[in-house]
Amino acid sequence: MLLETHRADIETILSRYDSRRSAVLPLLYLAQDTYGHLTDAAIREVAAILDLPPTDVFEVVGFYTLFYNRPVGTWVLQVCDDVPCCYLGAEELITALKQSLGIAEEQTTGDGMFTVQRVKCLAACDRAPVLQANLDYVYDVTPERVNTLLDNLRARAAEARQRGVSGRFAEDFEWGPDGALAPIDRAAPYRPRQFPAAPPPAPPPPEPVPEADAGHDRPADRKASPL
Amino acid sequence: MGLSEHIVMRELDVPAINDFEVYRRHGGWEAYRMALKEKNPADIVAMVKESGLRGRGGAGFPTGIKWGFLPKGVYPRYLLCNCDESEPGTFNNHQIIDRNPHQLIEGVALSAFAIECHTAYIYMRGEFAAAAITLERAIAAAYRAGFLGKNILGTGFDLDIYVHRGAGAYICGEETALMESLEGKIGQPRLKPPFPAVAGLYGKPTIINNVETLANVPRIVEKGVAWYRSHGTEKSPGTKCFSLSGHVNRPGNYELPFGVPLRELIESPEYGGGMRGGREDHHPRRGLGPLADPRAPRCAPRLRERRRRRFDARLRGGDRPRRYGEGAPRGLQDGRVLQARVLWKMHSLPRGHPLAGQGAASHRRRGPRRARGYPDFA
Repeated sequence: MLLETHRADIETILSRYDSRRSAVLPLLYLAQDTYGHLTDAAIREVAAILDLPPTDVFEVVGFYTLFYNRPVGTWVLQVCDDVPCCYLGAEELITALKQSLGIAEEQTTGDGMFTVQRVKCLAACDRAPVLQANLDYVYDVTPERVNTLLDNLRARAAEARQRGVSGRFAEDFEWGPDGALAPIDRAAPYRPRQFPAAPPPAPPPPEPVPEADAGHDRPADRKASPL
Repeated sequence: MGLSEHIVMRELDVPAINDFEVYRRHGGWEAYRMALKEKNPADIVAMVKESGLRGRGGAGFPTGIKWGFLPKGVYPRYLLCNCDESEPGTFNNHQIIDRNPHQLIEGVALSAFAIECHTAYIYMRGEFAAAAITLERAIAAAYRAGFLGKNILGTGFDLDIYVHRGAGAYICGEETALMESLEGKIGQPRLKPPFPAVAGLYGKPTIINNVETLANVPRIVEKGVAWYRSHGTEKSPGTKCFSLSGHVNRPGNYELPFGVPLRELIESPEYGGGMRGGREDHHPRRGLGPLADPRAPRCAPRLRERRRRRFDARLRGGDRPRRYGEGAPRGLQDGRVLQARVLWKMHSLPRGHPLAGQGAASHRRRGPRRARGYPDFA
């Protein structure tokens, strides 16, 4: 079926590589967007196009996290929970998402609209906390913005169904000054993010320990480390 | 200690440099045109060698010397650009592709000419979907202008550049795993030797460089070795895009010459702007950026100073290539800087994940051996 509907795409993809097998990731993306997720039949179809044993393609699907061999929502929300995002409230964001949607992680809402997943670093740590909706970046998602975001995504559900979950037509978003989501302007010069300057009233710092080695007590008769 | 002119993050000096015409007007593709018409590949390799450009992917290996490892007379060769930027806390490659993609493509093209290869792949992590589209558009513009394709500028040189998207696997940032992935297999690293320069992609000689490394090449060829070496230090010329995140007032990418002390990067109002909440307890981690909780309890000043000196030394481009995140859990435990839940996260990392560290503390890890999303390294 893929060969009938996307023959030109497939031939373009195959022409890029000196080995047919290299086309397996792009073709799986294509199949995933065409069928919604990678059914067994879809995987076998890709294997047939590439003259590969189906097990090899099943293995690839199982290894890479962006391939779904199970039904997923129209929007797959991948929330970064790595350390830099965690500092700026990734856990609060995940909690807010789960509460708003009434689902647990790795689950899909009853209407088939959203799936929520945790992922590791998405390489946008300066705009933390970050999530991807069908691989569209959404920067700086504070828990207060969750409902606005979900409403925006629901309004674009038809578009998402047409584009698929593989990000082949992705677009990145940030929050405009009016509080609405807007595609990022790549022509604008990069400006580092500036947090509001007003520091919270700092508690008086505890007395520093004059000795070396991070506050570990050392018996008085032991010499200091030569390091 | 700022830069009068950025080498890689040129969008700060030139508005809308992501547009092909703007890039052309600011000298873009001229180095490539000049190289094709007037130089031979060995000249470009020599220039890169003399410039002292070192790989920006982490190991800091001199790029020109790496290119020199290619066996003579063995073709085809491949050039791979590693844009599988997944290390927690790094995000400069993402920005280079978003804002200054033409310079990367020119860098790939120039490097391909230098190593006499006719097919180059830019391997991007699967999550960089929109960035991949940006890059493909920029490549299409270069084809239209006649800088890529067959018989480029009438010189008889052929070059095709393709974007290849991974599909979500941290390990594919390792160079041999990346090649496996590009060959359509699961991303398991290969044993070395043979090194990629001898037997890489499809068993052919292959050079693999990081995005930031390749984006430096056009400027070296355009402005010359002496100009390039006027930045940075003797052993590490040039600049580095430092990614600051976490509890600093101004998280972001900052391009600075090698040799700037880490304290300045964090404290200067031009760059990091200091720690949020005004604390001075830095616990910077290479790879993870400065991680410090302003609410952290005490940390002995002497220990802090010692660490600071060590990291300054690395920033100045010390010779020893070190692992990212080395010893991180230990420092974090000793200084008790992290909130409990972050610390738990560190503990739950799989053995072999760079954040899990190779230091004395790693054996003290508790918690599960594997974290979801990463393959088992054990």
